[in-house]
Amino acid sequence: MTVVIGFEGSANKIGVGIIRDGEVMSNPRRTYITPPGQGFLPGETAKHHRSVILTVVREALDEAGIKPADIDCVAYTKGPGMGAPLVTVAIVARTLAQLWGKPLLGVNHCIGHIEMGRLITRAQNPTVLYVSGGNTQVIAYSERRYRIFGETIDIAVGNCLDRFARVIKISNDPSPGYNIEQMAKKGTQYIELPYTVKGMDVSFSGILSYIEEAAHKMLGVGQCTPEDLCFSLQETLFAMLVEITERAMAHCGSQEVLIVGGVGCNLRLQEMMGVMCKERGARLFATDESFCIDNGAMIAQAGWEMFRSGQVTDLPDSWITQRYRTDEVEITWRN
Amino acid sequence: MAVCASENGSNGKLEFVLKVPFPTEREAGIALQSLSPDPEPRKGGITKNMDVSGQTLSVRWTADEARILRVSVSSFLDHLSLVMETLDAFGSPVSQ
Repeated sequence: MTVVIGFEGSANKIGVGIIRDGEVMSNPRRTYITPPGQGFLPGETAKHHRSVILTVVREALDEAGIKPADIDCVAYTKGPGMGAPLVTVAIVARTLAQLWGKPLLGVNHCIGHIEMGRLITRAQNPTVLYVSGGNTQVIAYSERRYRIFGETIDIAVGNCLDRFARVIKISNDPSPGYNIEQMAKKGTQYIELPYTVKGMDVSFSGILSYIEEAAHKMLGVGQCTPEDLCFSLQETLFAMLVEITERAMAHCGSQEVLIVGGVGCNLRLQEMMGVMCKERGARLFATDESFCIDNGAMIAQAGWEMFRSGQVTDLPDSWITQRYRTDEVEITWRN
Repeated sequence: MAVCASENGSNGKLEFVLKVPFPTEREAGIALQSLSPDPEPRKGGITKNMDVSGQTLSVRWTADEARILRVSVSSFLDHLSLVMETLDAFGSPVSQ
């Protein structure tokens, strides 16, 4: 049996998860929530993580009912993400690995999402849509790499949603995206927004500027409601994501789609993707918020695969990196 | 914890030296290994060197400007206290 503890803190969530051969033994998490209208800044987020990380580690061990001696490997997020929060979490992972005398393993955050999605849904070889506050990529596996078929050329889809939420002061609790999703259900009027698919890639920054201006103009004079804007934004963004996912599937001859990342728990996105999959006779795999949203178990799971295939990270090489593309990682555990 | 900051006359650079005593040599070594892998985020204008002698972790900064030095030292102290809290919370190191 191989037991891996995973540390994740590349954005505003701090999570510690323990995996034993495909079984999630524990996966506690805390979220740094900012007031409406405000995003999370690296320094403040790191401070939040520092203040709770040891409590979360203790919870993870207690819930799993294991002792440090039972752990085989300590995995942590090497990148990509915000520098200050990444360093904070890496420092604790390094210290514990040394205290406990266990090997350390630096994990690519995106690979963590993909491997956790594969574990939970049992999807074999899916086309992956990875959508979160920091990343938007369509990915398929080939020749020992998760290859990026399409991606955003500017901001991530979740960043577009988060920043729109700030403009009209939607609460960040539990997350701006969740609140937009709830408000969108009450939207009745579709407001046409720019639709910016560029080949296999997508662009969201222009849509954000457009809807910001529309919000100021239309809400002031009562031409539409905030709910209408939430609805229209979701429909437009998600249609773009479904389009590039479908194109990647056609290209790869794939009959499986896996949605991962924080935006992936949006049920409207899952519904729209489901319609496309049904038309193509393909299967859709998605997970709920406990595994879609950043968590420690996903880092433990990718770490488990890496460790079992013989990888470890020496302490001097355990530096974090804010930029770390999904396709930089050699996938040593798949054929 | 002994600290001194001075302006080195010969090259006009600011220097800052920090000495951190740990209960054991091994804990000082753990702190060094935990705190040293990440390079300074800023390119140029500052250098930081760390080493351990006995139970003491020593850090020496050289910087062009006080502003840059302050940011680096302050973030180092945050990281140092996190290492110390982790050592306190999860007990004495396994002897090897």
